[in-house]
This record gives sequence, structure tokens and C-alpha cells, in this order.
Amino acid sequence: MSKMINFGIDLGTTNSLIAKFEKGQVEVFKNPNGFKESLPSVVAFRNDRILVGDQARTYAEKDPKGVASRFKRKMGTTETIKLTGGSKTPVELSAFVLKELKNFVHSGERVESAVITIPASFDTVQSNATKEAGLAAGFKQVLLLQEPIAASLAYANKEKGIDLRNSQWMVYDLGGGTFDVALVKIVEGELTVVDHEGDNYLGGSDFDAALVEKLIVPEICRRGKFTDLLAQMKSEKGKYNKLWYRLLHAAEAAKIELSTKTSAEIDLGMVSLEDEEGASIDSLLTVTRSEFEDVVKPAIDGTVEMMRKILTRNSLRPEDLKFILMVGGGAYIPFVRKRVEEVMGISVNTSIDPTNAIAVGAAYFAGTKEFKEGAGKTAVPKNNRQLKIRTAYNRNTQETEETFTAKLEGDVSGLFYRIHSDDGSFDSGLNALLPRISEDLPLREGAFNLFTFGIFDGGNNPVDVGFNSIQIAQGRYSVAGQMLPEDICLVLDDVANKDTRLQRLFAKNGVLPAKGKTSVQVAKTIIKGSDGEISIMVVEGPSERHSSTNKPIGILLITGSQINRDLIRGTDVDLTIEVSESRDVTISAYLNGTGQEFSQVFKGTDRHVDARMLASDVLSLESTIQDEIQEASSNGNHDSAQGLERLLSQVQGLISEVGSLAQDDVTDDRFKLEDRKRKIAQDVFELTASKRVDAAKVAYAEAKEAVGALVSESGNDRERHLYREIVAREQTIINSTNPERIETFTGELERVRWNILMRMPDFLVEMFEHLIRNRASMNDQVQAKQLIEVGRNHISNQAWDDLKQVNGRLWDLMPSDARESDDMRSYTGIV
Amino acid sequence: MAQIPAIEVPKWALTLLNNLFEVERKLDLHGDPGNASRNVEKMKNTFAEQMLFYEDPMGEPFKETRTDLEATITGAGTDNLVVVEVIKPVIRHGEMAFSRVVQKGIVLVQSKDANQGKQEESVE
Repeated sequence: MSKMINFGIDLGTTNSLIAKFEKGQVEVFKNPNGFKESLPSVVAFRNDRILVGDQARTYAEKDPKGVASRFKRKMGTTETIKLTGGSKTPVELSAFVLKELKNFVHSGERVESAVITIPASFDTVQSNATKEAGLAAGFKQVLLLQEPIAASLAYANKEKGIDLRNSQWMVYDLGGGTFDVALVKIVEGELTVVDHEGDNYLGGSDFDAALVEKLIVPEICRRGKFTDLLAQMKSEKGKYNKLWYRLLHAAEAAKIELSTKTSAEIDLGMVSLEDEEGASIDSLLTVTRSEFEDVVKPAIDGTVEMMRKILTRNSLRPEDLKFILMVGGGAYIPFVRKRVEEVMGISVNTSIDPTNAIAVGAAYFAGTKEFKEGAGKTAVPKNNRQLKIRTAYNRNTQETEETFTAKLEGDVSGLFYRIHSDDGSFDSGLNALLPRISEDLPLREGAFNLFTFGIFDGGNNPVDVGFNSIQIAQGRYSVAGQMLPEDICLVLDDVANKDTRLQRLFAKNGVLPAKGKTSVQVAKTIIKGSDGEISIMVVEGPSERHSSTNKPIGILLITGSQINRDLIRGTDVDLTIEVSESRDVTISAYLNGTGQEFSQVFKGTDRHVDARMLASDVLSLESTIQDEIQEASSNGNHDSAQGLERLLSQVQGLISEVGSLAQDDVTDDRFKLEDRKRKIAQDVFELTASKRVDAAKVAYAEAKEAVGALVSESGNDRERHLYREIVAREQTIINSTNPERIETFTGELERVRWNILMRMPDFLVEMFEHLIRNRASMNDQVQAKQLIEVGRNHISNQAWDDLKQVNGRLWDLMPSDARESDDMRSYTGIV
Repeated sequence: MAQIPAIEVPKWALTLLNNLFEVERKLDLHGDPGNASRNVEKMKNTFAEQMLFYEDPMGEPFKETRTDLEATITGAGTDNLVVVEVIKPVIRHGEMAFSRVVQKGIVLVQSKDANQGKQEESVE
């Protein structure tokens, strides 16, 4: 099978893109840095580095000696661009952009050939120069394609049903900084550009500036005292220079918003805007779409004029055109579409994505063109240079910057190196490879910093030296013994199971110090002055276990006598838990209900065992064991029962010892007793863990079967998909030893079941009747009566959606505690 | 090079985080009599639980190798740049130990040298 070129590149004046044709589809690649599809066509030479794209654009305006942009318009001229790093030709600069685009190809495959687009206005010399840039970038074969043709191809491939034979149309391309319009026609079966016009200095960024100058600045001047605000903004040394750039950003955002809305707000509330006398200015401005349209109208009318010229020159009337195909960012502006349509009197077509249409069209074209090996003259050098690298750097450091150095043996001429951070915050750019290189790498504090190192030849093809990754751990990782040996968890009430559960605050092996925040709710109202209390208990140990098996670190008790107002059930308690490097734990609780804050520090060296808490824990452990024994015996699980019996006698021994412990006991007895309790609880947990996992698995299997049947009978496409998707993941859950994870999974299935049931008339009626039976306990009898009547009507009218609403409202009338028994014993008082 | 798959974060999440950042800045600037910062903190924690958090790069140095910021240079000079205004924060996905940039911060930067020059002028 012959190999196709497949890659299409839109080498634009302001932005460039790369796309690939594969199996009938085109993918536009994203910049691994910042995830945009486009790469600004800007090259910068700063501090011996070569930077391409966004990084380079930052310096374009302020450091013109080091940065080259808009060089596409100089292609094919003998002009060289004088830069601090020496003179560069437009071809060389374009090659840098093309090489950078290769990095977008995430599959890592080599881009050996490409279709590169050129403006319709390019003559032979300019076209050849573009081809030369492609070869200089390391492509073995370069095909050129005119931009309006590429856009038309993108359109023809999207709207496959459309017949373009014997027709002609215009491609209107209003980009970020340039405007082009072309008349395209099918001549003898081939797409041909017949005529074209353009303006090299008209684009979206001009609209942003006009919006600032003509609308925003006059409005700000009306609101305060300014002598010459615009000049002060535009002058580098002006008092309001920062505001100019801030407003340009705001104007761009407003422009985008105005393409879908009729007005947009510019909110400068984040900056303190003051006039020259120091009076603060109201910072909310509104721009309406019609105001914006008035500002850009002259420019748009200018583009329409160019279209008219083309028509006149070719003795055509607008109705001779099939449509106007709009590409470039300008196509998003409703006014541009409207105005062009209005003046020309024919329909405007915006069905393709205007920003990447040219690259997409180029890729479609590339998908039909065969790659001929050896078509180009430049051979790609392989790593036959016997390059060897030796690196030196600190893998652990306390610094926020670390110097990476490397020594290279072998022929390094014409090679480059580049280092970028895997988190997307650093890129060294291309640097000439020397026998000895060094690079300062910025590090994130308290994090693993990963960098990718690469050596490239002149065509930006990677050269393998067997080293590509730099890993540096910053901060506390370097010192052993400062990681958490166990999970640190918060104990919460588990109302449904009348037990407690653990919420993990910090994971095992986390780095100290650590700080975490969480919000819990008060489970039971605490009356001011009463002896009711909530306890915020932090324990250490595996989070999937029961709280009694884990080591208590500290308990912060808040009682009714400490609060200045009643603490209503359901109000939030904001908790902040900090663990210092020496493992001191600070628990702070802010009661949203009363506005009070409580805080306590628990020293890592001390242990806190509350005698009362211990007593209640031991008692509950006893009843747990008794329940478990009963269950094990009735299931015929005699081994477990026997083991549990042994534990029961141990715990009963503990009860009497704990009972004789004074609340203010000063010996270490309570620690010993606490240890023994924990040991017993761990044994119980181990003896019964498999039981809980088994029960959860059974429940899952049952739910799976029931929901499966229901889905295939009454589910819609979405639910069927959801069900399949849940079941497809089941293996990881089934292998889990964590019952809670299995339960969550079952819960997902139950939600699907509930969704379906809530659509089924039988179920809704049954639920309605169930609610009627519970009518006596409802909060508002009058409303209940009315709702029931309404519901009966809905049933006779078969208005099932309405019945669902009635059910919901009736459900709300049920006393909220009805489903939670009042005798629920509160362990911690927080959920 | 650079073959790390991109993390797709839904746009609504980024929009919420950007607005949360704005709220936080406005509370700092205009005062917070109702203690709304507490709610902001809670929302930030909720996002952090979903592995999303933002960072304010205000005052940090900027140079050409930084790729977590989209900077516009104000004033004169292009060396010794520091962030003087933050329009959008840097949004990261992950946890403290390892996270990745999912939205570049949009900032204005200015040369420290120029700043100092200005201050000296005003002193005179």
C-alpha cells in the first residue's frame, strides 16, 4: 500500500495549525503547551534561546529586536530580518514555526511530508520560498495548496451531499490580523482561484482596539476626571499603561460574548479604577451589540468593497455566486455575516469551523496525495554520531531552582536541546547543543517535578541518546521520616447503619506538614447550656477500616455549655486539620450556626484517650461482637463464631477494668486499655470483613440482575448505555475488598433503576397509594388532602409527569425523621 | 517530545473557578463585611476535592521560559519582569505532589527595573 502525506499545515501570518487525515477523519492537533489548536507564528531569540509561539508573542511588541512576527508577508523577498541573534530570512523563520508544529503531533510519529497552505496572492517566488521553508524544517516532501481552495475542500468534505459542479463562490477569510477574499471556481473539474483581494492589516485584534478607543475609554472619561486618558494608556510611561492592556483583554472577551448575546458587561471590579483626582470610578460597563457594530462597520464595509471589486473585474453579479464561505475568527461575529449577506444579497455559509478550516482542508488534500520517498533533497540525519550524554543534577532539593548540567561526547554540531516540564509550566525553547550544557530548572515547592529532555537535529527530529527524563523532588521529600505512616481520618456518624464511618483527611505516605479542610454537619440539635455535645475525633489507621480499630489522635469536644446559641441539626461545621512535621495535630472547628471557633492542638508525642469515650467504645464493641456471633452461628459459620466468642470474653474483661478507671486517672492505664480495645476491634474487623464484602457483592449481583431486566424492558438508549458502562467496570469493583466501594457501585445501578421506575405509570400509582396510606403522619393535612385529590385527577387523565410532581410534594410532607429512628445513638454528633 | 495526553477539564468548571477567583479578589479589594471569604474557601476546597485548584501568580517573576502564563508586557523594558496584574489565574489539575496546568494564567507583567525607575522619579 502506498503511503499518503496525510499532514496538512495552515502556515498563517498570525497563527499556524497542523492537522492529520486518518481513516476518513481529520484531527487538528493541539499545542501540548496550553492546549490551543493554534500556534502564534512568532519566533523570538532571547538569551540564546529560540522560542516559538505564545512565549515569543509576549515579547513581540516590547522587544522587536529579538522577536520576529508577520514574516509570512515577506516570504520570497531578499529582505532579511535583523535580530539580536543575527539576521534571519523569512524562510528560516517560517521553518522554525513548521518545526514547532511537529511537536503538536501527540502520537509521536514523524512528520515526513506535509501539505502547506499559501495565500491566493502568493506568486511563484513566494510559493517556492514556502516550499523551501518546509524542506528546511525537515520535511522530505512539501506540497502547496492555496488557502481558499483548502477552505473549500473542508466545506466539500463536510457537506458531502452538495453539488459544486458548474458553480463559483467566494471564500471570505477574516483572521486575527489579516483579511483575504477569493473567487473560487471549478474549471475543468479542478478547483481554481480566479481572483482575489486582501488587506494585510485588518483583523480581529483591530476590532478589540477600536472597541477600547471608541467606546470604553469615552465612557470611563465620562465617569471621572481625566485629561488625556487614551494617550496616558497608550504611552509606555503613561500612568494608565496597564489599563490599556487590561482593557484590550476585556474588549476581546466582550467581542466574543457579543457573538451570542446582545450585550456584554465589562467588569473591572478586580482593579481599583481611580481618576486623576483619586476618585474611584464605577467599574461596570455595558457594551451593546449595536454599539459594537457601529464601531466595526467601516472596516466590514471595506471588506465588502473588495468583494465588489472582484465581481466587477470578472463581470459577475452577486447572484452568480452560489454562496460566500466564511472562515477565520471574524466569521463568529454575527454582524460580519449579516452585513456581508445584506450588501451582497446572497447567503453566507459558516457551516465549517472557521478557525481550523484551512488546516482541515489541507489535511483532506494530504490524505489523497501519495508520499514519495526521496522527493526532497535534504536527508534526515540519524543518530550515527555516537552521541553520549552524562548528566548531573540533584534529585532531591530544598531549593526552588535546580541547575541541570550535562556533558556530551560526540559530534554536537547543528543539534539542539530542549527541556520542558511535564506539568506545562516551563519550556526552555530550543538551545544550541554544546559539549557542556546547563539549564536552571524552576521547581514547584513540595512537589515531584518531572521534565522531559530531548535532543533534536536541524529538522526538529528527535535524536535518541538514551536519556529523556529529569525527576527532581522539591522540599520535604528529600528528608526521610516525614511522611505519614498511616491514613489520618475523621470519625463520622453513619446514620443508616447506626455506626460510625471514617472519612480520610490525609492519605498514607502524604507529605508533612499537611493541612486539610472539610465541612461536616451537626447530626443532632445541641441546646445551649445542655450537656449535649459533638466530638470531632481524628484517628490514625487505614481509612477502609472501622474507627475502633484505628489509633485515636485527638478529640475536640464541643458541649452545649460552650455555645452561645442553639446548634441546629444540619448546620455546617467547618473543620481545619493541620498536621505539622513533628506530627502535632491541630483541630479547629468553626460553627456556622453560632459563629464560634474552637481549636485544640494535640502533640504528636502525647496520646489522648478519654476515659468516658473509651468506656462507651468498649460497650459498643461488646454488643457488636454479640451481634456478629449470633449472625455467624445462624449462618453455620462456626469457625468465626468460635473466634468471636474468644474476643467477647476478652472484651468483657475489659469492660470491668475500664469501669474502674477514674475520669482523671493519671496513670498510663487508659492507654494500655485503649491499646487492648483496639487490638480486639482489629481482630473483629478481620474476622468479619469478608462477611461484609460478601454481603455487598450479593447486593450488587442482585441489583445488576434486577436493573438489567428493567433496562432491557423499559430503559431508553441513555440508560442502556449507562448500564452497560457500569457493568463494564465491575471487574475492578468485584476484586475490591472494600465493601463501601462495592456499595457505591450498587448505588449507581440503583439510580438507573430509579430513573426508569419514575417514568412508569404503575410504579407512580403504587407510590402514590403508599403515600396515601401514610397520610396520617404528614405535616400538613390540608395540603395533603388537596394534593391527593389532584393526584387522583392526574391518574384518571393519565398525566404521569404531573403525578410524579404530586408524589414529590407529598413526599416532602412526610416528617423528615420518619425514616430515621429517634433512638439512633449518636457517637460523634456529626455526619 | 511532549507526548503527554492533555487533560480535558470541562469549560464550565474553568468558568466557575475564574469567577471564584474574581470574587476572591473583589472581596480583598472592597472588603468583606459579611465574611463571604469563608464561602469562597469552601468552594475552593470542593474544587480541590475534584483535583482542581487555582494559583494567583501576582508578584511572581516572569521570563520567557515560563509557559503557565500568557503575559502581556506593560511599561518599558523586557528584563526582570514581574507579574503586576492578574486577569485570570493559573488553573491546575492534580494534587500538591503532582499537578498539571490546565489553564494558563492571563497576566500583565512589568519590568522591575522600570518600576524602580518610576519610584525614584517620584521620590525626586
